[in-house]
Amino acid sequence: MKTPPAPQPPQWAERLLMRIAAPHLREELAGDLYELFQHRVQRYGRRNARLLYVLELLLLLHPRLWRRQSETGKRYTTPHYAQPNPTTMLSNYVKIALRKLARQKAYTLINVISLSLGIACAILIFTLVKYHLSFDTFHAHQDRIYRIYTELHRENITYSTGVPNPMGDAFRNSTTVADKIGRVAFLNKRLITVSPEKKFEANIAFADPAFFDLFHFPLLQGNPKTALQEQHTALITDRIAKQYFGDENPAGKLLHIDGSLVVKITGVLRDLPANTDFRSEIYLPFSSLQEHSPWLVEKDWWLGFNKEMQCFIRLKPGVSPAMVDAKLLRAISEKHYDKEMAKTFHFKLQPLSDVHFNPKLRGQTDRQNLWTFGLTGFFLVITACVNFINLATAQALGRSKEVGVRKALGSRRGSLFWQFMTETALIACLGLIIALGLAYTALPLVNHWFDIALTINPLSDIYLSTFLITLLLFVVFCSGAYPGLILSRFQPVAALKGKLSQRAVGGFSLRKGLVVTQFAISQLLIIGTLIITSQLRYSQQANMGFRKDAVVILPLPDNKPATISTLANQLSGLPGAGQVSFFDSPPATESIGSTVIRFDSRPENERWNISVKSADHRYLSTFSIPVLAGRNLNPSDTVREFLLNETAVKALGLTSAQDAIGKPAFVDNHQGTIVGVMKDFHFKSFRTVIEPLCISTRSEAYNSCGISLNPHTMASTLTDIEAIWKAQYPSAVFTYRFMDEDIERFYKLDNMLLRLIQLFAGIAIFVGCLGLYGLVSFMAAQKTREIGVRKVLGATTGQILWLFGKEFARLLLLAFVVAAPLAWWAMNKWLTNFVYRIEPGIGTFALAMLITILVALLTVSFRSLKAALMNPVRSLRSE
Amino acid sequence: MKGTQLGEFEEIVLLAIALLYDDAYSVAIVEELTNRLERPMSLGVVHRTMQRLEEKGLVNSRFGEATAERGGRRKRLFTVTLAGEQALREARRIRNDLWDGIPNAAFTHLP
Repeated sequence: MKTPPAPQPPQWAERLLMRIAAPHLREELAGDLYELFQHRVQRYGRRNARLLYVLELLLLLHPRLWRRQSETGKRYTTPHYAQPNPTTMLSNYVKIALRKLARQKAYTLINVISLSLGIACAILIFTLVKYHLSFDTFHAHQDRIYRIYTELHRENITYSTGVPNPMGDAFRNSTTVADKIGRVAFLNKRLITVSPEKKFEANIAFADPAFFDLFHFPLLQGNPKTALQEQHTALITDRIAKQYFGDENPAGKLLHIDGSLVVKITGVLRDLPANTDFRSEIYLPFSSLQEHSPWLVEKDWWLGFNKEMQCFIRLKPGVSPAMVDAKLLRAISEKHYDKEMAKTFHFKLQPLSDVHFNPKLRGQTDRQNLWTFGLTGFFLVITACVNFINLATAQALGRSKEVGVRKALGSRRGSLFWQFMTETALIACLGLIIALGLAYTALPLVNHWFDIALTINPLSDIYLSTFLITLLLFVVFCSGAYPGLILSRFQPVAALKGKLSQRAVGGFSLRKGLVVTQFAISQLLIIGTLIITSQLRYSQQANMGFRKDAVVILPLPDNKPATISTLANQLSGLPGAGQVSFFDSPPATESIGSTVIRFDSRPENERWNISVKSADHRYLSTFSIPVLAGRNLNPSDTVREFLLNETAVKALGLTSAQDAIGKPAFVDNHQGTIVGVMKDFHFKSFRTVIEPLCISTRSEAYNSCGISLNPHTMASTLTDIEAIWKAQYPSAVFTYRFMDEDIERFYKLDNMLLRLIQLFAGIAIFVGCLGLYGLVSFMAAQKTREIGVRKVLGATTGQILWLFGKEFARLLLLAFVVAAPLAWWAMNKWLTNFVYRIEPGIGTFALAMLITILVALLTVSFRSLKAALMNPVRSLRSE
Repeated sequence: MKGTQLGEFEEIVLLAIALLYDDAYSVAIVEELTNRLERPMSLGVVHRTMQRLEEKGLVNSRFGEATAERGGRRKRLFTVTLAGEQALREARRIRNDLWDGIPNAAFTHLP
C-alpha cells in the first residue's frame, strides 16, 4: 500500500526563506518550519497550515535571520565573502534623504502638502466609489438575481420598476428557469401604531416567503423557515424593535398598520446594512396585502402596474437572461395581452447589480458620476505628482556635486536611481500618512453631504489597504522615476567641475508640458464647476410655470369627501393661509401616471399617452397656473370635466385652444368634457420635455393638500394648520414639506456632484499654485544675478516682473487651448441630461481663464516681486 | 558585560531547554511553551532567543539526525552549559530572596 504524499508547504515561501536566511541557519529553519507545518496540517487543515507557514516566515524576519555568523562564535568556516548587511545601504539612503528634506524645508513642505491633498481626495473618492459599487452585493448568488421590469413601447419608451400583480404567478407557472421567485410590494411612510400613545412612520414591505431566500437579511430571532408564511405576522429589524419596544422582547407583540391591518411580530431581522437599496424595516406576508390595499392585488389585472409592486427572481445557474427576455417574458406578454397591447407591454430582466445604478429604473446613483469622481481623483493625484517632478528636476542641478562624488566613488546608475526613489518614497509615505489623517477628518463632512455612513479603516478594509499600497507605488514611480533617471545620468567629470547647465539637466520643455497639464486640469474643473452651477441655478430658479415658494404640502391619511370639505373650510379660514387645494400630486413631481385618451368623436385612442393629475377646482389658483382658454374646473368629486395643457392641444392636432373647449373626451375610461386649456408648466424636472397633461376632479385619488401661505406669518400659520390637522386626524403623525424643497430634491444628486467638483477644483488650483510657487522660487534663485545685472543696467521692476510673468502667461494660454475643447465636450455631454438647459457661452470659458490667470499671476508675482525688488548690490557682490 | 544579564523570556526558554533535556530543539520548545504559557508562540521569537543564549554561552548546540518528518533536514539540538545552569540558579536565588523578604502583611488585603 502506498501512503499518499505528505502535504507540502508553499514552495515560494520556502524558496524565499532559503534566499534571505544566513547560510548557517537555512537547514534548521527550513526543517523547523516544515515540521511545524506538518503538525498543523493535522490540527488545523492544509489551508490554515499554509497560512500559518507564511505567518511564521514573516515573524522570522529580523536582522538575526540574515546576519552572517560572527568570527568569534563561528561553528564552521564559510567560503563566502563577508557580505554587508543588506540594510546598510538602505539606511544610508534614508539618512541622506532625511538630511536633504530637512535642509530644504520649503521644497519638502510643498511636496508633502500637495501629495497629501491629492492622496486624501483619492482616498475619499475611492471609499465613495467602493461604497456605491458594494450595493446589494452581499446576497448569495447575487449575480443570478434579477428584477422583472416593465417597458411600455408607445410614441416613446417608458420604464417602470413594477410589474402587473399576476406576473409572479404567471412566471412561476409558465417556466422553470428560476429557482426562486419573490414578489414584494414596498409601501413607504405608513402609519404604525404600537399603542394609542406610540405612533411611528415606517417603510413597510409585503413580501413572499421566498424574498428572504433571495436576499440575505438574516433573522436574529424567530424561525426563518416559517417567516412570512402565515397571515398577520410581521418581521421587524432590530432597530425598529428597539425604537418601538425599548428593551422588551418584541416577539408576540402586535402592530397596527395604517389603522387597518393588525399583525403579530414573529421575528427580528438584523439591522439593514447601509449598502442596500431595500430600505423597508417591517416585512409582512404578501398574502396580507389583499387585506391592506386590495386595489394593488386585483387578480388577473394585467393592464395596471405600480412601481412599488416588484418581482425578483433568481435564475438557475447557466440560464441566460437574454433568452428569458426574448422568449419566456415575450411569451408571457403575448399570452396575457391582446395583439395590440402585447406590442406595448414588454417585460425584461434587470440584474441586481444594475438596480443601484440605473436612473431610468429609479436607481439612486449614476455610474457616470462615479466615473467622473474616479477620473477627478486620478487628475488630482497626477497634479500632485507633476509638482513633485517639476520641483525635483528643477533642483537636480543643485545636487550635481553629490552625484559626481558618488559616481567617482563607484556608485552605479542603478543605485543612484534607487537612492532617489527612496527619497521620493519617504515624501510619499509622509504624504500618505497626512492624507489618511485629512481624509479621516473630512469624512464626517462627506457623509453629511451624501447622507451616508462611510468609514475609513485601512487595517480592517483589505480593499482600501491594497488601494493605498498601489497608490503609493504609483505615486512613487510616477513622480520619482523621471528625476531619478535625470540625476543618475550626469557625467561625473562634468558634474564635479560644475559644468552642468540647465540644458544638460534637460527637461525644461518637459517641465513646461507638465505645468500645462496641471493648468489644463484646473481649468477643466473650473469650467465644469461654472457650468454645473449655472445649470442647477437655472433649473431651480427658473420659472417652472407655477408658484413654488411659500406653498406647503401635507399628506392626507384619508380622503373621504366629508373630511376633505371640513378640512378645506377650516384651513382656508386661517388668517395666514391663502388658497387650499386637494390633489394627488403637486405640480412638479418625479412620478406621474399616464394613460390613453380618446378625443371627441374620433374612433380610436390617440397614439400618444397623456399624463393625468387629479386635483380639485382650487388647484390652479393655489399654484397660480393661468387658464388660456375656456374656464377652470367646477367643484366635483367625480370625473366630469377635463383641463388640458397647451402641449396636449397641440398633440391632438388642434390649431387653437378654443377648438378643444366643450368637446367630450375619454381619459382612462372616464368620460368628461374638456372645459379649459391651461398654460404649459413643467410638471416634471427640467430633464424631460413638457408632455401632454390632463387635470380632472377625482376625489378618491387625492392624497395631499396644498396651502399657499403668507410668507410673513408662515411659522404661526403652520402651528395653526397642525392644530386643525391633528383635530381631524387624531391618530396620524403630522408632517409637511414645502414645494420648493420638493423641486430641490429633483437635483439632489447634481447638487452633490457640484459640491464635490467645487472642492476638487479648489484643491487642484491650490496644488497647482503650490507647484508654481516652488518653480518660480527656483527660477528666482537661478536668475538672481541676471536680475541684478538687468537692474544695474536700468530695468524697471515691471520689466523684471514681466520676465517671470510672460513665461507663465504663455503656458496658461496653452493649457486653456487644451482644456477648453475637452471641457466643452464633457459638459455638453452632461447637459444632454436636461431638456431645458443653458448654453455654455464664451463668458463661462473666459471666466475660467480669468480665474486661473488671476490666481497664477498672484502666485507668480508674490515670489517674483521679492526677486525684483532686491537690491542688485547684494546679488552681484558675491561675485 | 551587557550580555550576561538573563532576560525573562530567555530564562523561560533556557528552563524549557533544560526540561526537554535530550530533545531540546526549536519546534519542541515552541510547542512546549505554547502549551504551558497558553498563548501562541512564534518560531521566530524562540529561535532568536536561542541564538542569543548561544552567543552568551549559556547553551551549546549540535546537529541531530535528519528525519523524514522534517523533509530530510537536520535539527539543531541544544543543551544547557555550566554557565547556563549557574545563570538559572542565580535567577532563582534572586527570586527566592525577594519572596523571603516579602512581609506577611503585604498580601493580607483589608476586606
